[in-house]
Amino acid sequence: MEEKRHTSSQYERELREVKDGLMYLGALAEKAIDSALRSLLERNSDLARRVIAEDDRVDAFDAELEDKCIRLLALRQPAARDLRFIATAIKVNGHLERIGDMAVNIAQKAIILNEEPQLKPYIDLPRMADITREMIKEGLDAMVNEDVALADKVRTAEDTVDGLNEQIFRELLTFMMEDPKTIHRALIIMQVSKNLERIADHAKGIADMVIYMVTGKSVRHQFHARIDRASS
Amino acid sequence: MRSRLFYKVFATYLVVTVISVFVVSLLVGREVKKSSTKSVEEELTACARVVDLSMGKDMETKVDRLASASRSRVTLIDALGNVIVDSERAAAGMENHLNRPEIQEARVKGKGSAVRFSSTVGVDMLYVAVPIKEGGYVRLARPLYEVKQSIDNIYRSFFTAILLVIPLSLLAAFVFSYRLTSPIKAMEVFTEKLRRGDVSGSLLVKTTDEVKQLADNINYLVAELQEKIRVANEEKGKLVAAFASMTEGVLIIDGEGRIEVYNRALREMFSPRYGDVQGKTLIEAFRNVDLQNAFDRFKKTGGPVTEEVTMGTLDPAILDVSISSIPGEAKTMIVFHDVTRLKKLEKMRVDFVANVTHEIRTPLTAILGFIETLQEGAIEQEETAKKFLEIISRHARRLNRLVEDLLTLSNIELGEMKFFFESVSLSGVVENVLPVVAARAEEKKITIVKEIPEGLPPVRADRDRLVQILLNILDNAVKFTPASGKITLSAAVEGDDYVLIRVEDTGIGVPVDEIPRLGERFYRVYKTRSREMGGTGLGLSIVKHLMAAHGGRMEIESHLGKGTIVSLLFPIMKEPASRL
Repeated sequence: MEEKRHTSSQYERELREVKDGLMYLGALAEKAIDSALRSLLERNSDLARRVIAEDDRVDAFDAELEDKCIRLLALRQPAARDLRFIATAIKVNGHLERIGDMAVNIAQKAIILNEEPQLKPYIDLPRMADITREMIKEGLDAMVNEDVALADKVRTAEDTVDGLNEQIFRELLTFMMEDPKTIHRALIIMQVSKNLERIADHAKGIADMVIYMVTGKSVRHQFHARIDRASS
Repeated sequence: MRSRLFYKVFATYLVVTVISVFVVSLLVGREVKKSSTKSVEEELTACARVVDLSMGKDMETKVDRLASASRSRVTLIDALGNVIVDSERAAAGMENHLNRPEIQEARVKGKGSAVRFSSTVGVDMLYVAVPIKEGGYVRLARPLYEVKQSIDNIYRSFFTAILLVIPLSLLAAFVFSYRLTSPIKAMEVFTEKLRRGDVSGSLLVKTTDEVKQLADNINYLVAELQEKIRVANEEKGKLVAAFASMTEGVLIIDGEGRIEVYNRALREMFSPRYGDVQGKTLIEAFRNVDLQNAFDRFKKTGGPVTEEVTMGTLDPAILDVSISSIPGEAKTMIVFHDVTRLKKLEKMRVDFVANVTHEIRTPLTAILGFIETLQEGAIEQEETAKKFLEIISRHARRLNRLVEDLLTLSNIELGEMKFFFESVSLSGVVENVLPVVAARAEEKKITIVKEIPEGLPPVRADRDRLVQILLNILDNAVKFTPASGKITLSAAVEGDDYVLIRVEDTGIGVPVDEIPRLGERFYRVYKTRSREMGGTGLGLSIVKHLMAAHGGRMEIESHLGKGTIVSLLFPIMKEPASRL
């Protein structure tokens, strides 16, 4: 028997474009976080300014993707699963755009910090950045593959980021108490840390939406909601 | 079940035989009928002519005699057509016979005959009429029983023949169609096998006709096909081997934008982070904006695209990515060439040149500056001039040292340095080295403790280089140990093959994350301080290279503010006798 070749219809292609678009936006956000952090670690203000400039691309792409979603809704009138996917895509899109803004915030702080001597070697900030980037990547993977377990993993990773944020806060507090001259820098580093923590929040938001998309249950405002309960 | 071809052949056989038998029987029947009617007609005509009938008496008797002799019905008719006598019926009641075809014919031709169906007898009657002398006609009529009989006989035998022919033709059709269809059937089975992709074997046919020719042609085509497939497989094998063993990562994207296949190199390049990328789109697989942008640009322009892409964030890989289409297919090939090492080397080279320039410029600037000052009059003041000359001399010496160190390094690296390896006793070398550093150690009130055990096996080394190595390490130790510190030089056997020399100081130490960089050329942990002490920034680099040339190695352990331990591992000189 000759196997019939699967040719995707125009509609399927459009859905695929949305999926790929989300991942592209995710990659842009990941890159922005990475570059912002590197501009801080390598004390490279040029790189930081590039991150700020590139955010326009994130915003433009975000608008384009949202437009694509709305058009799909209007013209194709998808039902059930596809409808939930597109609704989710629109929300995830928003999260990613906000993540891009946070990366810009970090880059701005990096420029300020690069003007002054480095307060301390950064160890926890890069770890936070790595975890948040992984959260974004896995959140989108979970969305495309409808993988609830992976989404759940992303949700728990947020606790780790929160923990790191608190640790950085305590550490900076000791710096400030020892030497008031460090207060300015410490406060800015704190903002960087806070921004990373908020990026992790957005990544968790993406994971929440994925669980809604797959199971139809909302876990958004449940703290430490157990997924097995939510999906049963 | 027999094939349809068999039934076709069989039916044709049957129809053809039945029709031909039928036609033959019809023709034969007609011929027989004609000839036997003719013989009867001739017999009757002869009878009619033999008997001379004349009107008159005894006519009835004569007619009866004729009738019985000729076994026919005899009718005597006058010229006007009135029946005068009839051998079988009473003439009185009979109608005028003048218009009967045989009479008419006899009147014209002198003899007439006709065949008519007689309803009275229920059989064909042959009428033969001949004119008589007195005018009038004699007509003889005989039913054609024999003719009918013989025709019926013929038809019956032909019918029997047909009945006989059917099984015969069945048999013939069977045999013939079998002989015709069995090679065709064999061909059908064989070609079906080909269609399914099995191109092994060849077709065996026993006939010699066109079917055989056809089979031969098929065999020829199959042989061609087999050869082509073999060649194609061979080519494919080569390509697959090349694909698999390439050091460049290669992946192919299908028309739908999904990764269709990728090679081992790519898997090794990316697998830990990206997992199995088969079936994914490029952005889904690698999440790399630059890569996706390059791919989009390729799709837009259609031409090949080359791009340098950085993948990953921790210890990122720098890749030369070239994207091109596969001719004749809606597929895209992406080749990843890992240039991380090249880029690193390039950076090292650039850094090296920058460092050398910087290192040379610093003393040169000082030398030129002081010479200028001297020229501008400082030379008149003896005290100052002496001081300046001292400085110039110091910087010139430093330049000299730098050039010498660079030369040494490049000689080692080029393999041009000659080593004379021999059995060297460590304690002897230490005795020579220690006095050299002792004076400077004395100035800083640093105590040097020597802990070389008795009976240490000799090491395999170039004596002069060993001295150079130890001087370098001890010099460093003295430089970076504050006043009243302590330096311990110890040695011990390490394992079966090495002697371990440890130089431990109580110096300022080195941050842990800088230790790996200590062997790099011009790498200084304490930049200004090192230069002030006259270092070139090449010492440890030279030691590292010399140790490698000796087949040993250098390890550094350090705690910031507490001290540094440099461990040198030298191979033990094996006695030739121990080698069997």
